[in-house]
Amino acid sequence: MAKKILVVDDEPDMVTFLCALLEDNGYATCTAVDGEEGMERTKSEKPDLISLDLLMPNKTGIKMYRELKKDPETKDIPVIMVTGFAKDDVPQMDFKKWIHERAIKPPEAYIEKPVNKEVYLESIKQALM
Amino acid sequence: MNGLQRQRGEDPNPTGSFPVPTPPMWTILSNPIKKFTSSLSFKLSFYAGFIMFLAVVAFAYHTILTQEKSLLDEKIRASIKDTEIIKAAVWNGMMSKDRQVIREIVAAVGKEGGFREINIYDHRGALHYTSRSGQSEDIGSVATSSTNPLLANLDSNASLRYRFIDGGNILNVVNPLNNSAGCATAECHADPSLEKVLGALEVNLPLQDLRKKISDSRRNTLFFAIALFLVVSSILGLLVIFGVLPPIKRLQRNARNMAKGHYAPAVANYGSDEIADLARAFDDMSREVNSRTTKLDQSRRFYKDLFHAVPCYLNIVDPDYRIVQANRAFTDEFGDYTGSYCYQVFKGQDTPCLNCQVKKTFADGLSHRGEQVWTSEGGTRKAHVVVHTSPILDEDGKVSQVLEMSVDITRLKNLQAQLEKKEQEFKTLFENVPCYLSVVDKSYRIAFFNKRFVQDFGDCWGRHCYKAYKGRETKCSNCPVEATFADGSTHSSEELWHLNGSDRHIILQTAPILDERGEVVAVMEMFNDITELRLLQDELSTLGETIAGMSHDVKNILSGLEGGVYVVDSGLRQGREERVRQGWEMVKRNVEKVSDLVKDILYASKEREPEYQECDPGEILSEVFDLYQGKARDYGIELARDFEPRMGSGLLDPKGIHSAVSNLIANAISACRSSGKPNPRHIILHGSRIDTRLVIRVSDDGAGMSQEVRDNLFRKFYSTKGAKGTGLGLVVTRKIVEEHEGTITVESTQGEGATFIIDIPLMRPEKKTA
Repeated sequence: MAKKILVVDDEPDMVTFLCALLEDNGYATCTAVDGEEGMERTKSEKPDLISLDLLMPNKTGIKMYRELKKDPETKDIPVIMVTGFAKDDVPQMDFKKWIHERAIKPPEAYIEKPVNKEVYLESIKQALM
Repeated sequence: MNGLQRQRGEDPNPTGSFPVPTPPMWTILSNPIKKFTSSLSFKLSFYAGFIMFLAVVAFAYHTILTQEKSLLDEKIRASIKDTEIIKAAVWNGMMSKDRQVIREIVAAVGKEGGFREINIYDHRGALHYTSRSGQSEDIGSVATSSTNPLLANLDSNASLRYRFIDGGNILNVVNPLNNSAGCATAECHADPSLEKVLGALEVNLPLQDLRKKISDSRRNTLFFAIALFLVVSSILGLLVIFGVLPPIKRLQRNARNMAKGHYAPAVANYGSDEIADLARAFDDMSREVNSRTTKLDQSRRFYKDLFHAVPCYLNIVDPDYRIVQANRAFTDEFGDYTGSYCYQVFKGQDTPCLNCQVKKTFADGLSHRGEQVWTSEGGTRKAHVVVHTSPILDEDGKVSQVLEMSVDITRLKNLQAQLEKKEQEFKTLFENVPCYLSVVDKSYRIAFFNKRFVQDFGDCWGRHCYKAYKGRETKCSNCPVEATFADGSTHSSEELWHLNGSDRHIILQTAPILDERGEVVAVMEMFNDITELRLLQDELSTLGETIAGMSHDVKNILSGLEGGVYVVDSGLRQGREERVRQGWEMVKRNVEKVSDLVKDILYASKEREPEYQECDPGEILSEVFDLYQGKARDYGIELARDFEPRMGSGLLDPKGIHSAVSNLIANAISACRSSGKPNPRHIILHGSRIDTRLVIRVSDDGAGMSQEVRDNLFRKFYSTKGAKGTGLGLVVTRKIVEEHEGTITVESTQGEGATFIIDIPLMRPEKKTA
């Protein structure tokens, strides 16, 4: 049975692309446009992995990640963070640092935009093993 | 003396302008003689001996005269007695009336009795008897009173009488023969009884022996006196030489030593006489003099050293303004000018100075002070001095000299000049420094300010700083001036002041101004208007964020493109047409995004001339509305129109207006999406023409804006959208509006939405082209 991956991104194009990529590689997909919807979908769809965009309206990826990790129901779902920010560009948006400072379990992988397809798929493969 | 007189007499030219010949021997001897005769021993011995000599001579003379008189008196008494005896003998002979007997008696007595001669005269003076042998022929000769005055007046004065004849060698005695009763009755007697004196007996006694004795006595006495004189003189001389002269010489020597300045005599045993007392008294005096002289000397040396060592110039000037004496400090610095006129030395003048302290002191006897400039010869050394004069008084209390004491203040003057220059420099610096400078006193009143300050704040002298800067009535909280007054260190603060109708960012620094004791007496405020800088700084920081945002945008677009290409490929591979169309739409949207971004960047960064053309704003608004209606609907937003499709043409840049309104709509969509409110949200695009003005309003019920966001809205690179905004949109919008000489304003309440209002004049085509 194909593994189900939840793609959370506010950009419809990004969602289309990632879903096409994942489906082409044998994964089942479901989508959400912001953190709030992402949490709902996580609860309802119970995905095997979440591909999470960092910056979104309503509820950012960071907020959603924190909630995921707080909730015992969802805290074990692997997360791949997809972000348009390199840490050098905007230091205050350094998610890695933010995670380390708060002693929260880090996500399984960080993927920077533009998404390198091979790296993205390999990271997901690793995270699901 | 004689010799000297003669010597002078012989010298034809006593002034000595001619060569003096070798003096004769006596002049060579005269000095020792003179020295000898004027010596104490000579004087004492000679005069004492001479007095003794005179005394002895006088005494001897007196004694000899007395003896002589007594011897003669005895001789006279003896001769009277002899005449009485002879008279008696002769009387007997006469009584016998034998003349022969008388003759024999006379002859015998005359021979044997040591008489020279015995004569008997009658009362007529006729010689009757004589002892002279062979002189019988004289008998009967009459002796008169002229031949022998003793024979005169015998009748009237029948007394015995005598005289010295033959140079005193013979005593001539005449004893009258008185008439007696026997005689008067004698018949032989030739003379009547009436006759009182019958004759006279004359006796001559030789006195040679007596005289010789007296003469011998005189000579002996003289010899004795001379001998005594010599002996006494010699003894006295020796006594003086050995007893008096040595102590006197010692005294002399001491006196000479004293004269030479050796005041301390050796302790000596002088003995106990008066000279010794004198010598001791002299030595005591000498020691006293020595002690006082030493003290005087020490004192003199002290004052001399002081005079020379004192570290200022000392000159003593006489009434002619000549320098009598100068101390070492002066001579070392200027040279030795003793005897020169002070005004020549100090000023190089030929006459005394006009304002001369020395002159004043000579005039009133008081001290005077003044400042002068001395120039040495050649002008190589110029000295600024403070001159202080003091009078030096003579015994009568008159000012005989003036002590001029001068302190060199050249260095001080130079320092003063330097200080003044520095002060001027600092003042210039203070005045011209390109920021506001003011000095505030403890009561927060402005005491000083610079040019720049006056330009923007006016003359605020004496006003309270808080009133002058901020229009406040009380001191500001967190006042850096107060902090500096409290701790004496510098403080700074950044403040927002309302100046000339606008808010200005002011950076203010304070520094303490200390007095000599290190206490803060005032505070200097240095401040600058950094509004522009602050804006630039903000822009820079937002630029940083925006570039990050832009790069994110570009990355997103690239991702979108890449994704689109992948989706198209995937659709083509799998023969899924629907997927190919989906991918192609992605590609098109992202190409459009790139196009929009580049346009925005170009608009924001470049001076672009608007391309005016006659058009109807209603058409432009319709285009924008159609463009965004579908997109808005995708996000659950209702975009409503509130404008006429035909509003009447005007001169506009249609592309510019299209961009501006598109930006506002895009922003409104974002604001609605990020509001977190439940859909549907609403956006109203309103357009109207009011007279010649075009008013476009875009209202939404989205997130709204805070005051801060409103204030920064139209600045470059300001974005609230984080990764989704370029920060250029509203800047571009405003730029376009301003190019049309219009305004853009915003009304918004946080959480309730916002309304952007564009108000531009619609110019008539002919006017614009003209």
